[in-house]
Amino acid sequence: MAATNGSGGAQIVACDAGGTMTDVIVVDRDGSFAIGKAATTPGDQAAGFCEALDEALGTPGGSPASLAAIEACVYSGTSMLNALLTGTGRRVGVITRRGEEDIFLHQRSRQSWAGYGHADVLHHVAHHRPDPLVPRRLVKGVEGRIDMFGVEAIPLYEHDVRTAVAELLDDGVEAIAVCLMYSYMNPSHEQRVAEIAAEVIAEAGDPPVTLHLSHELAPIIREHGRLNTVVLHAAAAEPSRAQLLRIEAALHGRDYPHPLQVLLSHGGVADIRYQRLHESTFSGPIGGLLGARYLSSVTGVDNWVCADMGGTSFDVGLIMAGEPMIDREVTVTRRIFNLPTLVMDTVGAGMGMFVSVDPLTGRITLGPESAGADPGPVSYGRGNDTPTVMDCALICGLLNPRNYLGGKVVLDVDRALKALREQCADRLRIDAHDLAEGVLELVASSMREHIRTVLSTRGFSAADYDLLAYGGAGPLLMAAYTSGLPFRGVVTVPWAAGFSAFGAAAVDLSHRYQKSTGIIVPDGADDGWKAAMGTMVNAGWDELEARASEDLRAEGLSWDDATVVPIAYVRYGGQLEDLEVASPVRRIDSAADMDALTDAFEDLYRRIYAQVATHRQAGFQIFDLGLTVTIPKVKPHLVRRDVEGPAPPPEAVLGTRDVYHGGRRQPATIYDMDALRPGNRISGIAVVEAPATTMFVPPDHHVRVDEWSMLWLTAGDQT
Amino acid sequence: MSVSKDDLRDLYAGRLGWDKTKAIISGPKDDDRFETAVEVLQEQVSWPERILMPLREHLYVVESGGERVVKCDCGHEFGDWRRNWKLSALIIARDDEASLEEIYPGLRRPDPALCEVREFICPGCGSLLDVESVPVGCPIVFDALPDLDTFYAEWLGRPLQGVRRCEDLTHEITSRWGQAEL
Repeated sequence: MAATNGSGGAQIVACDAGGTMTDVIVVDRDGSFAIGKAATTPGDQAAGFCEALDEALGTPGGSPASLAAIEACVYSGTSMLNALLTGTGRRVGVITRRGEEDIFLHQRSRQSWAGYGHADVLHHVAHHRPDPLVPRRLVKGVEGRIDMFGVEAIPLYEHDVRTAVAELLDDGVEAIAVCLMYSYMNPSHEQRVAEIAAEVIAEAGDPPVTLHLSHELAPIIREHGRLNTVVLHAAAAEPSRAQLLRIEAALHGRDYPHPLQVLLSHGGVADIRYQRLHESTFSGPIGGLLGARYLSSVTGVDNWVCADMGGTSFDVGLIMAGEPMIDREVTVTRRIFNLPTLVMDTVGAGMGMFVSVDPLTGRITLGPESAGADPGPVSYGRGNDTPTVMDCALICGLLNPRNYLGGKVVLDVDRALKALREQCADRLRIDAHDLAEGVLELVASSMREHIRTVLSTRGFSAADYDLLAYGGAGPLLMAAYTSGLPFRGVVTVPWAAGFSAFGAAAVDLSHRYQKSTGIIVPDGADDGWKAAMGTMVNAGWDELEARASEDLRAEGLSWDDATVVPIAYVRYGGQLEDLEVASPVRRIDSAADMDALTDAFEDLYRRIYAQVATHRQAGFQIFDLGLTVTIPKVKPHLVRRDVEGPAPPPEAVLGTRDVYHGGRRQPATIYDMDALRPGNRISGIAVVEAPATTMFVPPDHHVRVDEWSMLWLTAGDQT
Repeated sequence: MSVSKDDLRDLYAGRLGWDKTKAIISGPKDDDRFETAVEVLQEQVSWPERILMPLREHLYVVESGGERVVKCDCGHEFGDWRRNWKLSALIIARDDEASLEEIYPGLRRPDPALCEVREFICPGCGSLLDVESVPVGCPIVFDALPDLDTFYAEWLGRPLQGVRRCEDLTHEITSRWGQAEL
């Protein structure tokens, strides 16, 4: 992490506001970075944001620096989700179709184990439906039905709507969410509900109640996830927007000249005035994937396994051919939302996980709970007495007790050692240092298995990928958890601790639109049928395009600057899963255009699975359409530096420290990560320290710093 | 994680919140869970005999007059724990259409040619202690015969007085039935 006071001056600010800590990264014109950290301030997020920003700018407590030269500021955070789950969002009433009023109680069965660890998924006794997002009393059913082809089967009973709205108003709701079946095929009933509701609200003296319609916010198949999404928006989007506007006002007060932008969960960025602000809810963990995508574009490495190790979890995502994968449903805090989100697979394996001994089996157990940032590990000395994985790393000497978070926290090794010895090692009758090393290996092996699973369940091989380790704790165990996996390369970056925020800075301004449909092209369909289906596809794309151009206009952007990519989700007839296909044609105006689309699908299918898996005899189905619009935005300038000799400069060598590795104490060379130069090579056993992260290099491992300042780790003779 | 006595009391009473219940389900058992659980249960019964092991709702193996017997909350004793207590209970056997119809009306009723439902009732208090649904003619199921001496000696580290061989003695009852019929 280089200082920001380089000749270029600060250019981009990006922020990742987590539940406990707010990270800010400031990127300079010359490509150097600085990271600032501060406690998140949920009441007024501007406070925590500005504190972290000042630290990154190197002016904590002093006179605030002017932000007039900053060209972009991107925010990502979890406040919206917290508002929804803690009930501090707005009071939402729901109108759904008659017969479905218990939808929040029934839920989808998947939600009864969503978010559980593997053992709990298998144990039915642990399954439990999360609390309803909206109490049953505030859910009203109205008669009426649109069928799956978008045809009205039962007319809307308008008197039902009047009664429902009046009852909700009596109950003091602040927002009404409307979600009717097949509204994405034909929104007329939802639109009529909105008209009637507006009348009833007006008759009631215009209380400040807002209306939110599912076909506008999430026109995607499956009511439950769609309704969850609409409720999320209704409850939390506007209060969250108010927070963001406060942050923007604070920035403008310091001469920042542009609008504040938010990161969206599908990897785009939008102005905070963007209508579907709820798309920014789950953007926290995906920043790293976007950072990796950016590294692909700069370095030419296009297949990445992105491995993010933090305090509570280990998240793994893939970049294939330079692009991340997207899911249209996301499960967060045990609830399913219909929201396109970049795919990351999470397993509980973080540095804060508790270490204990199972009294029945006498085996070491890790987690599932974590110490969090407060009270933190035993070594923080803030009241937690149960040892954590991080305490084990400290006991083994991998972490420097006086250079943790840049020396902001002094770690108490003796306290950690005592806790581990008394609670675990003595019970197992083994040495506490041996145990600590064993715990690290145990964590690493569960991470290794997780990576293996992520790849193998999709039929991929590590041999086709490079692994990128990030997150504050990522570089510490990267040698251990990649051991035995045949990656092409294993790498980390000096700004690993702020990599997610970096990723948020490295994205284009982009929106994504989605809509469900029902298009079927049987094998041997004639040209007339294909063209007719093409008309349906075009109608869907036209609708999304109209919405996109309206959004861009509202943000003051020009449609002419936008790159538009139409998308279709295609599957073979009868399949349950589909693939996202970027359409090779802008519109489907003929049978040949339809063939071009299905050919593109088959080509992708062949690359992902195999030639023998294709079976066009089943015909093709398209149940979802999409559209992305992208406008280029200023991004960090990663600087290619001259490669120097292999010997690190003297100022990079900080001395030696004993580390416990391989069952004994061994002297390790300590390096200063920021002082290493491109071209430098170091060999294990070594510890490379940076203020916010630490890299461990075991014996027989080597590190090479490349021209982008990235640190490549190799084992054995490969160098 | 150590579960407090109050939480266990609430768990038995069905009052414990889901978060804590889930933590108990998913977490490893603490060293003293068994003792604490037995203490809670012992406080809730009206008789003085020591509970050696809870068997199921209402039923416990207790030390009574130097013997280990199965005992109900209400105080009714079913005899030696190695003999299937169900044979000493009152039994409602639902083995024809009419009796099955009472609990599974209409289409939900199983075929009495294939299956029978047996309800076991405490002769002391009338509580429904267990229900089994089995193929016709299946012997009464002996759900569990805990090896008390091994458990106390090797798991808890405090052996019980007077070791008893842990073997199924149900035949002591059923063989007498046979003789009576002869």
